[in-house]
Amino acid sequence: MLQGIGASQGYGIGKAVIIEDLSLDYSAVKYTSAEEEKARLQKAMEDFTVETRVMVEKLKSSAGEKEAAILEGHLTMLEDPFMQSQMSDNIDAGMTAEASADTVCTMFYEMFAGVDDEMMRQRASDIKDIKDSLLRLLLGLNNIDISAVPKGSVLIAKDFTPSMTSQINKENVVAIVTEVGGVTSHSAILARAMGIPAALSVLNATSVISDGDSLIVDGFKGKVYTSPSDDEVAEFTAKQKAYLEDKEGLKVYFGKPSVTKSGVVKKVYGNIGKAEDAQNVIQNGGEGIGLFRTEFLFMDRDREPTEEEQFEAYSTVAKAMDGKEVIIRTLDIGGDKAIDYLKIEREENPFLGFRAVRYCLKNKDLYKKQLRALLRAAYYGDVKIMIPLVTSLDEVKGVKDLIEECVAELEAEGTPYKRAPLGVMIETPSAAIISDLLAKEVEFFSIGTNDLTGYTMAVDRGNANVSHLYDTFQPAVLRAIEMTIKNAKAAGIMVGMCGEAAADENLIPKLVEWGLDEFSVTPSSILATRRAICECE
Amino acid sequence: MVSQDFVLKNKMGFHMRPAQDFVKAMSKYSSDINIKFNGKDNNGKSIMNIMAACMKCGAEITVECSGDDEEAMLAEAAEMIENGFGEE
Repeated sequence: MLQGIGASQGYGIGKAVIIEDLSLDYSAVKYTSAEEEKARLQKAMEDFTVETRVMVEKLKSSAGEKEAAILEGHLTMLEDPFMQSQMSDNIDAGMTAEASADTVCTMFYEMFAGVDDEMMRQRASDIKDIKDSLLRLLLGLNNIDISAVPKGSVLIAKDFTPSMTSQINKENVVAIVTEVGGVTSHSAILARAMGIPAALSVLNATSVISDGDSLIVDGFKGKVYTSPSDDEVAEFTAKQKAYLEDKEGLKVYFGKPSVTKSGVVKKVYGNIGKAEDAQNVIQNGGEGIGLFRTEFLFMDRDREPTEEEQFEAYSTVAKAMDGKEVIIRTLDIGGDKAIDYLKIEREENPFLGFRAVRYCLKNKDLYKKQLRALLRAAYYGDVKIMIPLVTSLDEVKGVKDLIEECVAELEAEGTPYKRAPLGVMIETPSAAIISDLLAKEVEFFSIGTNDLTGYTMAVDRGNANVSHLYDTFQPAVLRAIEMTIKNAKAAGIMVGMCGEAAADENLIPKLVEWGLDEFSVTPSSILATRRAICECE
Repeated sequence: MVSQDFVLKNKMGFHMRPAQDFVKAMSKYSSDINIKFNGKDNNGKSIMNIMAACMKCGAEITVECSGDDEEAMLAEAAEMIENGFGEE
């Protein structure tokens, strides 16, 4: 069994087809004249353009417009006047067309690959793709024809370039395996868009596996089983059938209310980290947003976002959800998440340290900008404000005071705003223990089970020696959840849950029984969560 | 030469699509365009230069145009940048 990263769900059972990289060695090519070399390069670029246009059309139908646009971008890159003039200068300096294309593309490749930004690194792989295509055309080699592989093929390659993936025929390809790439790589995005199971970053896949080998690919766990037994083939065939049926069966829950057999209506929401993810929640049938993490607005940049930038992001989501509830959590950062310009010192115990609401209440200017942006966004939709890591009543009162200051300012300025309901995240044992008192101060709770489990059990889930204790089903954690729900109910406020446990089909019946109102889960789990609720008494 | 300072507003900054549109628009002009960012010069007609500079939301840039149609060029550049390239 080979282990990689599960990058596209599903199970693929079939025969290996190894896609070898072409040899693009041009050391035997001799320099003729500058005119001749430029003419050859020009011809290769023209052929590249024609070839790419054809692939763009193919990709539009097999994977969609968005994926095709990546390939279309290759044309713009190659048309770049700077790139073209560099290539031409190199030829004047005595390089062959091949060497010139190689040198210039490699220079840009290194420029992009060195940037600490996932999107830029993707551009680096685009440039490598352009380089390989140009060299292939200059050397007069035929492209590897992936479209012709037989039915039931498992494609194995070092990596799939956008131009290679455009030729994948999803009728014939049952799985994809690569030696490099992660869940956000081009291969992964395409595999998911086409619904083909994929295991990426499988070390030495192209050398360990031979053409024609029988394989099973588990796209959930990123496992590749070589020479599987008949029993294994039968097992995974059944699993794949069940997976597809399950996926199909869930579709009937789209647009349906989340209501138990006895008629109690629940809310199934989505968790998001970026404004554009709101679409993902809608497309997966979510009835609202139960957790919008705002950290992303503050990360990967060199100064804090302005009130205006934050307002843009929050109001965009509020408008996109069109009157549906949107719960936005205020900044949840600490010494473990390095945001240089915030100058939070490294701490011995960042999880027990200066973080989240504790940090925000000591940095009132920063926090007020966020609160003002939230109050302003509330004018455009059903926005609710949620405070993370609350452990005492004073913190809630502190936030309320700041909100009052913001309201007074906005009122005086005449800026449109709305008083957004305030809630707390119950993610510490202390918050659960005083949930009866907190319930009198706020308008809703949301139980964050990931941290609640960690803090209640006093366990670091990343530490293999103790991670077995990290279990939401531990009686201590279940009691904390039950107590929180009961106290919310007694005070008549809404109580939701936004950790992984909210999508746990074994826990959902208990949560329903205790009276949890709202289940906020990752968008891809929305329909399964709704089904589990609909199956409850 | 004419120049103007900007702060990039759209969330993704100068990524592929805006860079593509920007380069297309700027190539209409005969003047040269230089985008200064973090002390480095970037050719405003080169998508590769622009993308490699990795100018994100909040980036402070200076656009310099020089040539016969520098005024018109800068005006269009300013409009595109201030509109966040039509993105959020």
